[in-house]
Amino acid sequence: MSALIIPCYIKSQWDINCLYRLLESVQNQTRKFDKVYLVDDASPLKYELPYDFAEHILLNENGGPARARNTGIERALASGIEHLLFTDHDCIPEKDWNDQMTGFLEQTSFAAVGGMTYSWGNTIYDYYHNINGTLAGKWLLPDKKELWYMPSLNFGMKAFAAEEFPFDERFPTAAGEDVDLCLRLRSKYRIGFCPTATLWHDYGYKNAFTGFRKFVNLFKKYKSSSATVYEGHTVLMWDSSESIYKGNMYESNLQTKIQ
Amino acid sequence: MSLIYRRKSNDPDFTHAIYDYVGEMRPFIKRVKKPHLLVPMLLFKSIEWGIYRWHKTPIRRFYGVKGNELIYMITNACNDRCPKCGIWERPEPRDQHLMIEHFINCLKRLHHNLYQVTLTGGEPLIFKKDVMLIAEEAKKLNVPMVTITNGRFLDEAFLTRYKKLGHILVVSVDSVEKEKWNEFRGRRNFDIVMPKIMLAKEILGDQLRIQSVLSKESAEEIPKVKEWCKQHKIQFNVQFNQDFGGTWTNVISGEVAYDNDTPCAARKNICIYPNGDVVKCFDHRRIPLAKEPLGNIAKQDIIEILCTKRSTEVSKIMKTCNLPCKNMSCNKPQTLLFN
Repeated sequence: MSALIIPCYIKSQWDINCLYRLLESVQNQTRKFDKVYLVDDASPLKYELPYDFAEHILLNENGGPARARNTGIERALASGIEHLLFTDHDCIPEKDWNDQMTGFLEQTSFAAVGGMTYSWGNTIYDYYHNINGTLAGKWLLPDKKELWYMPSLNFGMKAFAAEEFPFDERFPTAAGEDVDLCLRLRSKYRIGFCPTATLWHDYGYKNAFTGFRKFVNLFKKYKSSSATVYEGHTVLMWDSSESIYKGNMYESNLQTKIQ
Repeated sequence: MSLIYRRKSNDPDFTHAIYDYVGEMRPFIKRVKKPHLLVPMLLFKSIEWGIYRWHKTPIRRFYGVKGNELIYMITNACNDRCPKCGIWERPEPRDQHLMIEHFINCLKRLHHNLYQVTLTGGEPLIFKKDVMLIAEEAKKLNVPMVTITNGRFLDEAFLTRYKKLGHILVVSVDSVEKEKWNEFRGRRNFDIVMPKIMLAKEILGDQLRIQSVLSKESAEEIPKVKEWCKQHKIQFNVQFNQDFGGTWTNVISGEVAYDNDTPCAARKNICIYPNGDVVKCFDHRRIPLAKEPLGNIAKQDIIEILCTKRSTEVSKIMKTCNLPCKNMSCNKPQTLLFN
């Protein structure tokens, strides 16, 4: 059994459009999710859901994506779900994304999995994120047999790992909470990489001119959490890592997949 | 990309920045397959590198959750001669005693993340003036303070000032019977100290606590101390005997009463010796990697010391080392300490 957990904070029509697009792609998955939890983190904008396959959980107070995901995790675990996948409202998974991610968790000993993330847009910034691997996870060096970290937009965990390692709700924004989770998780388990689980992320760049500010603010947001993450995981942070992109996504010895 | 946070004053020199920059750019360039995008891609990568390197980020970690306890063993010297402790046998030479300014600086540097500063010893009130300076600074910085004393040097003026600052005073009492008291203290001072404890109760009220050390020698006395505290409405705590160089024997034969899942103080404690040496725990030396202190606050900035690789590796080892110090009160949730 697999569940999809989507935290969302809807503040514009663009967010609503993204959410509808995501739900459509979730509906069209070749392997259906047993449960889909859409956790609304007290969004300022009201909206209707055009689909009834998702359980719409409305939080009373905004608590950040970590709290929203934990709410979804609690529901999923209570329903006896074995594999929990996570994505964000501005993502578009390929049709076989659930099949690949859940299949990977079923067939391997990894407690968690990350897939391959590409930029949805066509701007110069999207190209940059693709080759930079901004949201595509990081290999743990030197072997590249497991992940150092995987962003939560293309991430999955087995139930026992999710139960043992929930997100840290002290992270108030979507920055650092996934790094923190992965580093805690790695103290006990391993995170695998499934390059065939493709997911697209829409950064929302309209063009090269208007996108620059968004580009800078994105990295400033990520940097804002770095001290928190560093303080919490000073030892694990010393491990070397390399961001994943199309050019190194198959460098791993994928025989580890059948371990 | 580097996620490692560095303070401005801890920044490495210019050449290191160049080395770091080149180290980031070289592998990235190989990823750019479209030659006409090489320059903009390098520009974007430089922007990202610059943000990660220099964009300011708050020093307060965990968004307001204060995670560290700063423990200052202000002196080894003591006016008592308790057999449970051997620290008093090695008083630091006067010229090796840390100047109070260094500790105040350390406190200022860390205060955002401190839930408590604790003064211990030896007998801290041998340096009563310094204790009061720290207490006043802690008050200004809004950091709760705890002073652990044998009570011998308490007086009305000190207690009145201390009361106003709102800090906690813990008096170490292992017996409330005169003969045992004098035996446990190695000094015949029961008649001097007991009235001072009563004075402290009168002035400090709930800010006064009593703590006893549980060992085979004191086991019969502890229930009496507990009862005495109950009668006088003073909060009370028992701490297991630890090897501080004394002759008392552990009631739990040196074993650890907690398992590896018990949180260890390793992640939160920052301990300072009388000469300014920094350790993560006063039982640090049992770990081979931690035989030497992590640094000295008279010579280095405290955050620089805590960010060293050895410091973090020692913390990691201490998380699962299961040494007897895991029995100590610094590993208990604060709310469970006194009752």
